[in-house]
Amino acid sequence: MSPNSAASLSIEDNLRDVAAERFATSGWPGKSVEAFRFTPLDSLADKKLILGTSSGAQAARLIEGATHIQISGGVFDPALSDDMPSGIHLTSLHDDKQAQAALFADLPETHPVANLSFAQMSAGIKITISAEAPADAALVFDFADGSEHNSAFPVIMIDMAPESRLRLVENHHSSHGLSAPLLQIRMADKSELHHVRLQNESSHSVFVALSQIQAGADTKLNSFTLSKGAKLARCETHLNMLGEQADMSLSHIYLGAGEQLLDITTRLNHAVPNCQSNQLIRGVLDDKARGVFQGMVRVAPDAQKTDGQQMSRALLLSRDAEADAKPELEIYADDVVCSHGATVGELDETHLFYLMSRGIPEAEARALLIEAFLIDGLEQIEDPALAAFLTKAVRAWAAKATSAQGAMDRDA
Amino acid sequence: MALLEIKDLRASIGDTEILHGINLTINSGEVHAIMGPNGSGKSTLSYVLSGRDGYEVTGGDILLDGESVLEMEADERARAGLFLAFQYPVELPGVSGMSFLRAAVNARLRDAGEDEVDQLGFVKMVRAEAKALGVSDEMLKRAVNVGFSGGEKKRYEILQMALLKPIMAVLDETDSGLDVDALKIVSEGVNALRGPERGMLVITHYQRLLSHIVPDFVHILAGGKIVKSGDKTLALEVEENGYADIANVA
Repeated sequence: MSPNSAASLSIEDNLRDVAAERFATSGWPGKSVEAFRFTPLDSLADKKLILGTSSGAQAARLIEGATHIQISGGVFDPALSDDMPSGIHLTSLHDDKQAQAALFADLPETHPVANLSFAQMSAGIKITISAEAPADAALVFDFADGSEHNSAFPVIMIDMAPESRLRLVENHHSSHGLSAPLLQIRMADKSELHHVRLQNESSHSVFVALSQIQAGADTKLNSFTLSKGAKLARCETHLNMLGEQADMSLSHIYLGAGEQLLDITTRLNHAVPNCQSNQLIRGVLDDKARGVFQGMVRVAPDAQKTDGQQMSRALLLSRDAEADAKPELEIYADDVVCSHGATVGELDETHLFYLMSRGIPEAEARALLIEAFLIDGLEQIEDPALAAFLTKAVRAWAAKATSAQGAMDRDA
Repeated sequence: MALLEIKDLRASIGDTEILHGINLTINSGEVHAIMGPNGSGKSTLSYVLSGRDGYEVTGGDILLDGESVLEMEADERARAGLFLAFQYPVELPGVSGMSFLRAAVNARLRDAGEDEVDQLGFVKMVRAEAKALGVSDEMLKRAVNVGFSGGEKKRYEILQMALLKPIMAVLDETDSGLDVDALKIVSEGVNALRGPERGMLVITHYQRLLSHIVPDFVHILAGGKIVKSGDKTLALEVEENGYADIANVA
């Protein structure tokens, strides 16, 4: 029993109960819930939610010199994690009712899975980045282990002090039946965040992530996601610009094959004037894979001089692949520059012929063109080591997709 | 020795036959020119030779260095030593020029059972060839053909030819879109690649290219057939009298 056990009546337990009740009421969202129309989750209704434990196995390190935080089997494993550098503090969310209250206050009531994650909280971590933290601080959250019968609900809250800088990496490569990470980041004024997320879960996994970011004045965000694993993955980001001159860049690449369903959902709220948001989404789909992009940009009535750009492109490698896009602009201010666009296409036969006429084998030519299609997404990654790592992952995917396709064509 | 033999070649696009039985033999060291009016089948011939999808060979054969290429895909034909310089080189946004050139050269080396060339060795190899053709480092750094002028695109085609060292080069309307100076640079590049081990087929509408790249033989293509063959003086004849007379003779 912790000294705080008397507080079991307190707000913290109640809030997690409230969240659990919300989920119990809503259940898993099906097709009839508009936000989940393309990606219904009601097939999870019968799933038993059993939390796992850490196997204690070491995971490979992605960036040299970065601070490693290990979430294994859905739980935080301090023994496999590094000590925090000075100026960065890691504390438990389980014992922090104030932090929980703050987290809960921003939890979208209508997002059933986020409420479930908050209620279950298989891991609960709060990170505070103070102004004294090193300017080149890099945190790598590594999500590993797990089994098909287990579920993981890691909840991470990151508080960035004014003028702080952080490189944040999420490497999701676990094997849970269900992973539903909830991430909340508060960027105080003049803070700068470089965020890279790799979703490479097991082929039997369902991955439903919600990231909520609040950006203060003069903040800078560069966020990149590569989503390629899992049988169903939804990467949802809510970005709330609350201070002026926020400069936000949000890039996603998804690569789907087999019968994968990969969903990218973003909700951006320009609540104040003079902010800039730039969203780039690139998807490649093979076999019977489906890609979904839902992007909502809201510009509040007084958010004048907003610059909001959003462009989604999908490349289909197979006749059976499908891409759905639902870009939405809700603009209540009159002096803004906003655009959105969505295209779906195939590889250009003229491009392919040109490469092949130079002796480049068809599979290699297709892979070159796939990488070219994704290049402006990959160029958004600022860390050279991560850019190289993710480019390699994209190349390997393209090589596999095109060689399988060649084999299929030969069999046909 | 015959590097390219085209034997009674018939080819269609969809249900329409475009080439109605073409015969042509190019021996090593020879440069042949095919001239013809618009719609005579010149570009179709170049695509049929290089193996582009959508062009169906309905009769005859194409032998490259004694081997039929009809069952080969475009990339196999290229690795067997056939090169097509495009009339309209294709822009490939996002494909780095150096990666493209190296992939092409390495595919060829791999097929020949030779060691592939590494990045550094390749940069040296390309720079040497590029300099002679006036292809700048800046051009090499860009995506393939993206933002190139007409002349730059054609020089880049010849650079590829120089790197790939084909036994048989087909140049499709290489003069189109070139001003006099660019035509001179491109022609010098082509002439430098003439040699006893290589054959060339220069396809053009106008005689002016042939005063820079002087052919050994000239053929007139009209209505999908070669209607007349001769030496370089035939090109001058066309220049003087146009295609109408010759085509009518056929």
